[in-house]
Amino acid sequence: MDFVLDPMLIFRILVFPGFTFILFLTLFCDWVERKLEARIQNRVGPMVAGPGGILQPLADFIKLLTKEDIEPRDTKKLVFRYSPLLAFAIMVFAMCFLPIDGASVLSTGGFDGDLIIILTFATIANFLLFLAGWASANPYGTIGSARVLTQFLGYDIPLYILALTPAFIAGSLNIATIAGSQSLPFILLAPWAFVLFIITIQAELERDPFDVPHSESELVGGLETEYTGAKLAFLHLTRDVQVVFGSALVVLLFLGGSSGPVFFGLDWFFYTLWFVLKLLVVVVISEYITTVVARLRIDQVLTGNWKILLPAALLSLMLTVALVTWVYHPFGIGV
Amino acid sequence: MPNSVDFISLVQSKFGDKVQIQKGVNGEASFVANNGLHHDILKAMIDADEKTGITSITGLDFGENLGIYYHIHTAKSFFTIKAEVPRANPKIKTLTDIHTGATFHELEVTDLMGVVFEGNELNGHFVLPENWPDGVYPLRKDINLSSVKLVPTPEREANKAAEGRQVKIIIGPQHPALLEPEKFSVTVDGETVTRVEPRIGYVHRGIEKTTELRTYLQDIYLVERVCGICNPAHAYGFVGVVEKILKPAVPERARYLRVIAMELNRLHSHLLTLGHAGLEIGYETVFQYFWRDREPIMDLIELTSGNRVYGSLITIGGVRRDITSEQIPKIKSVLADLRGKLPFYRKIYLEEPTLRLRMKDVGTLSRTDALKLSVVGPVARGSGVDMDVRKDLPYEAYNDIPFKEIVYDDGDVWARMNVRMDEVEESINIIEYAIDHLPAGPIKVEVARSVPVGEAVCSLEAPRGELFYYVKSNGTDMPERVKIRTPTFANIPSFLQTAIGESIADVPSNFVSLDPCFSCTDR
Repeated sequence: MDFVLDPMLIFRILVFPGFTFILFLTLFCDWVERKLEARIQNRVGPMVAGPGGILQPLADFIKLLTKEDIEPRDTKKLVFRYSPLLAFAIMVFAMCFLPIDGASVLSTGGFDGDLIIILTFATIANFLLFLAGWASANPYGTIGSARVLTQFLGYDIPLYILALTPAFIAGSLNIATIAGSQSLPFILLAPWAFVLFIITIQAELERDPFDVPHSESELVGGLETEYTGAKLAFLHLTRDVQVVFGSALVVLLFLGGSSGPVFFGLDWFFYTLWFVLKLLVVVVISEYITTVVARLRIDQVLTGNWKILLPAALLSLMLTVALVTWVYHPFGIGV
Repeated sequence: MPNSVDFISLVQSKFGDKVQIQKGVNGEASFVANNGLHHDILKAMIDADEKTGITSITGLDFGENLGIYYHIHTAKSFFTIKAEVPRANPKIKTLTDIHTGATFHELEVTDLMGVVFEGNELNGHFVLPENWPDGVYPLRKDINLSSVKLVPTPEREANKAAEGRQVKIIIGPQHPALLEPEKFSVTVDGETVTRVEPRIGYVHRGIEKTTELRTYLQDIYLVERVCGICNPAHAYGFVGVVEKILKPAVPERARYLRVIAMELNRLHSHLLTLGHAGLEIGYETVFQYFWRDREPIMDLIELTSGNRVYGSLITIGGVRRDITSEQIPKIKSVLADLRGKLPFYRKIYLEEPTLRLRMKDVGTLSRTDALKLSVVGPVARGSGVDMDVRKDLPYEAYNDIPFKEIVYDDGDVWARMNVRMDEVEESINIIEYAIDHLPAGPIKVEVARSVPVGEAVCSLEAPRGELFYYVKSNGTDMPERVKIRTPTFANIPSFLQTAIGESIADVPSNFVSLDPCFSCTDR
């Protein structure tokens, strides 16, 4: 079979809902977070670049790109240079599997088991961030990335277990099917799993109260300490894409994905609109948690994972399986 | 009861003619005790009153001899033990064996005055820079500072592995957890701290020496620069001790205005620390809120003194500016506004679960250790030691103003921060009471430029704890010797002790609970 380069597919990958859209969605979410955090803390937040400072994240990104790029002598050059870029690329690639306008970027239906694939991509991206800090030959960077590794290795386990809850209810590991089968959003069917999932995502994204890898009073800049210029810009962007990715996962697994009322036959537009609105709800919840709590200590974070979150996730899975087998499916809910 | 201890008759009965007693000099009395008797006197005093401790040690240059003055605080009064050692062989017995809190004071005297305390000997410099030559002591009178030849700086200490799993981590002189330069070499076993070695002096500006070369009036402005945050406390410390020698009739109104200035200062200092502690534990919202509410207090300081930070309000004989009746409604409304916000803040500091996780049972200092180390201020009151100079030895108008002394028994970071939290409200009460009961009359009396021969001590409750001043005058318009003991200098030993055995991640929050000020510490 000849390989046909479909112009529509190229548009979908490069512009909408692919790379460009994801990039601007990321910068937009960053602005929402910053503005919200500032308002909660009784500050004004960004307000100069664009209306309400909406262009501030873009301005910051461009500014960092133009800054001098310094590579300290002792760094492992190859890893130091390319892991931020690779991490960013992998995160965007993972985003491409998410059905944003009703279908995923690459194909309409995805494939069976793509939920596992995108979770794996997220783990690989985290691992690349760890390598980035490890290669920077700086004690703060090393400790910071060691903490990243400790934290995501621990919290990945409950994350995977909790991601299985919606998969069980929908009876599929295909993320489009899971999102599509939520005529009744799964947050109503498994609210306990939703709460646990939000907490786990908070830890996975290294946000308060779990932001020990970025504890500036102990670790200066953590794994970013030695990074400057364009590499730092991509490290920041990777973090921001991770936030959007984590929130998008919550939307797809618990809030019914991009489903919602469609008017005038503009299904792609309304699907995207509902998706972005739901995404903002999750971003607001996550940012709210971040601003109203203090940072825990690394040992408290790990204790919380192994002693509380992991058993809770297992219990949640057992409860879900029992409910699905004896209650939900016999009554035709969530299939 | 500590009140009932009569230390003068105690010393008289125990030591008889061996100790000469000078009543009313440098506190309640001075004991002239040579030939190692200082050790026995302090031991007798500690046995009689558990709150006895060393506030400061002053080294003096008498020519043939070097004087060592031990300033002793007891529960309700002040004493000085005077000892002298020959300049040729300046050796004296250490007091660290009976009172651990003496360690830092002795090291400082060794570095600046060249007195050797047998049993607590200094290796290298303590306050002076590393490239300062050995055997040159800046506080001795015969030194010519312009002829001092600096030696090459020794090599820097590196982050290096000690034996086994032990790793040495150097916090400072530049570190994000420290806003001012000071170095702490922390040895860790895994994540657990096993040893902390301090090195102070990075911002040593020689202020004690400089005061000897300026007039008393100039010195007020100089000592205010010891610390930016608690500058009215320093101004009062110096003015108060000079007034004890000069004995001017300070007007009643000035006494109240001084209290208002010092309490406004305490308010803004406490709000600053409470916010900063939030930043250290990653609680940025707390930081932003407290610093937002600190701004109106800064405005009040500007309103009453003319400047936001350095008001230079307090001067010898009174104060420089009056509070007018038009200013009073503004002051009252700002204070009422802050009072309205306090219940919310207190709830955060008392109950917020993540904050409790980071502060409760961290850096616990027991009451016994607090007494042994002579810690001061909120650190002592957080460990259940009810020591507040405003209550124990009331100065200015504090005797007339009712207020509560805040004491928590927990001894941890949480308790120290909550002492400050509660003191914010007490400070508001004090200011409001002082404004309501402000006596009429002049605010200043004229005083002579020259101060007669004499010596005196003054101690006051600065925001960070007890601040101590000693001044010896020689009849001219410049002091002979000024000694400043700042609260952080007395509190650092408690950090060295409480950090051990805890996680390295607790070091910042433990440290900030002392409200450290290194510019004060180094002078």
